[in-house]
Amino acid sequence: MSRRRRVSPVVWLLLPWALVYGAFFVFPFLFSFVLGFLHYNPLNVANTTFVGAGNVTRLFGDADFHSALRNTLFFVIGTVPVTTTLALGLAWLLHAPLPMKDAFKAAMFLPSILSVVVIALLFKLFYAPGGALNETLRALGLQTHGWLTDPATALPAIMAMDIWAAVGYYALVLYAAFTSIPESLYEAATLEGAGHWATFRHVTLPMLKPALGFVLVINTIRSFQVFVEVLVMTQGGPLGSTNTLVMMLYDTAFRRLDYGYSSVIAYAVFILSGVFSVFALRRMRSQTPVQQRGMPA
Amino acid sequence: MMRRSHMRAVGVVAGLCLLAAFSCGKKSGSRSTSVHLWQFWDIAVVAPIIAEFEKQNPGLHVEVEQLTWATGLEKIQAALASGTQPDVCELGSTWLPRFSYEGVLEDLTAVYEAERDSFLMWDSALYKDRVYGLPWVQGSRVLFINRELFKKAGLDPDRPPQTWDELLQASQKIGALGNGVYGFGQNIGEKYVLYKKFMAFAWGNGGDVFDERGNVVVNSPAMLEALEFYLKLAPFSLQEKQEVLDQYFKTGKLGMQISGAWNVKNYALEAPNLDYSCALVPKPAADRGEHVSFAGAEMLVVFKGSQQKEAAVKLARFLQAYPQAKAVSLAAGSVFPAAREAMNDPAFTRDPRIKVFVEQSLTSRTPPAHPGWNEMEEAIDHAVEEAMYGRRAPRWCLDDAAKEITTIAARFNQK
Repeated sequence: MSRRRRVSPVVWLLLPWALVYGAFFVFPFLFSFVLGFLHYNPLNVANTTFVGAGNVTRLFGDADFHSALRNTLFFVIGTVPVTTTLALGLAWLLHAPLPMKDAFKAAMFLPSILSVVVIALLFKLFYAPGGALNETLRALGLQTHGWLTDPATALPAIMAMDIWAAVGYYALVLYAAFTSIPESLYEAATLEGAGHWATFRHVTLPMLKPALGFVLVINTIRSFQVFVEVLVMTQGGPLGSTNTLVMMLYDTAFRRLDYGYSSVIAYAVFILSGVFSVFALRRMRSQTPVQQRGMPA
Repeated sequence: MMRRSHMRAVGVVAGLCLLAAFSCGKKSGSRSTSVHLWQFWDIAVVAPIIAEFEKQNPGLHVEVEQLTWATGLEKIQAALASGTQPDVCELGSTWLPRFSYEGVLEDLTAVYEAERDSFLMWDSALYKDRVYGLPWVQGSRVLFINRELFKKAGLDPDRPPQTWDELLQASQKIGALGNGVYGFGQNIGEKYVLYKKFMAFAWGNGGDVFDERGNVVVNSPAMLEALEFYLKLAPFSLQEKQEVLDQYFKTGKLGMQISGAWNVKNYALEAPNLDYSCALVPKPAADRGEHVSFAGAEMLVVFKGSQQKEAAVKLARFLQAYPQAKAVSLAAGSVFPAAREAMNDPAFTRDPRIKVFVEQSLTSRTPPAHPGWNEMEEAIDHAVEEAMYGRRAPRWCLDDAAKEITTIAARFNQK
């Protein structure tokens, strides 16, 4: 009796969250799984039909899906390693004695507090014909370019923006991990005669693995879901060169009113980002050196 | 931050279900005097109109809700899925055919019979010989010309290009001015816009997406000729997104572009010294073709699920009537009443630029009233863009578009 009484405030406190989580996460998650087997059109719910694996088999033969998948993989593979490496470099710099360190930290974190829509709108101007990038190129006597209107450069341009916008946040995450590395390890390394690189390679990097794993997984998932940037800047164009999976999902659901097929695409994104995340985590774990396992947390 | 984007799709679906769960049985209750209207204009603009309607119709109460252009369509979809749709709703002409096809709209053919000659822009409301929407306001695209650049290039700004040849020559001469000045503006690299510009030339040349019997003719000689002409403009054109083109025109670096009335409103505020005028979209030749342009129309529909159909139709017709459509148009500054009366109203003919829009709307076209249009327009955009990027010969691009459009059409014919 008394135990139940002690538990109940927790339950009550959790209830609002649980309701919202259930209604807006668990339920849609399951519902879209069911939708994946249906032909469901919101304008004509009465005519919903069961199509079995039809939406899934359609996925495999759909050239649009293939190109969206290619674009998304290109985006993920092109941004995640670069963002992570740059974030690591910046975190390393922050860790070193540096004047005005707090100002740097604040500046680096700034893009993270901006809405993606705002960033995308700003970069649309930045890449525009009379925008900062082209005007700089012109001032340097170089050729200007239609960054977002050339199918060859539109996606890389969005990727560059994404890296700029994301790197600061991950750098701070890694910086926090840096500061938690015990000073004694560095002292030991110095005593052993290890140089800068050897210290970084054999002390810092292994100690950063958990944080790096986090950064890789979060960034991978986020990159698989790239959407707002594309919607604001190119809407998937030119010539489908920036059409990503979630952009396609959005179009399929809300413009083509094919909720069943778009649910299957959603699950494809979910599975892909899951597979990539597990792969990234596994790699991080398998390379954890023996010494570290014995370390106090 | 995580999965926000695809959760949006899933979230809407969840919303549909929640709405469905909570709305069961709510509809038939005590709403006998309440009519729900969903529309896209500022409430402040619509409120006095509604007040007038309520005054004229004692016992009827109108609940107005403003939709946003960004999410309005999703909201309407969700409402229909859950049976919580309004009685009267504003729908864009490119979307209306899909709604007609799905059978969610009230047949308004009787109203059409009564007022067909008083309004323009009925085409998008026609589906299988029935009419499902009332034209409310509309906006054509016209040719904007920078008079100063015309003079600099030795052209007469009072005699804007009337034909394709004149358009090409003017583009060439203005483009030759150099200094970052372009002759003409062509849309590229964004959705929903390019076909509106290209189809103006195609329609003017007698081309179309379907013929009268519904066959796909998007690769007809007339279409190919229009595309080949459009490509001829390319060397003297700035190929960019609409907002960049508008910006270039505003800053006097673009000689001509085809755009909408929102610019007239914006330029008055942002570039009051810009010396420009408007003209009809040029036709293929002096003795051939027509000055056709694209028009977007806002239509009023009554949903089949409405419990107050009589009151809903009454409200839709009241809104559509000229005084109300005029009030909305003047407040918006970017659209015009679909009523023919506007053609002779000094409010729309006094300003020579605005007059061109009204004049152009007489020969403007809305896209084919096909339920698959939203996919078909992408096929046209793709074809024109591919040709503009020089990826493939224009003929092949149009052949591919024809194949694609035929496939889409077949899917809708199946059901």
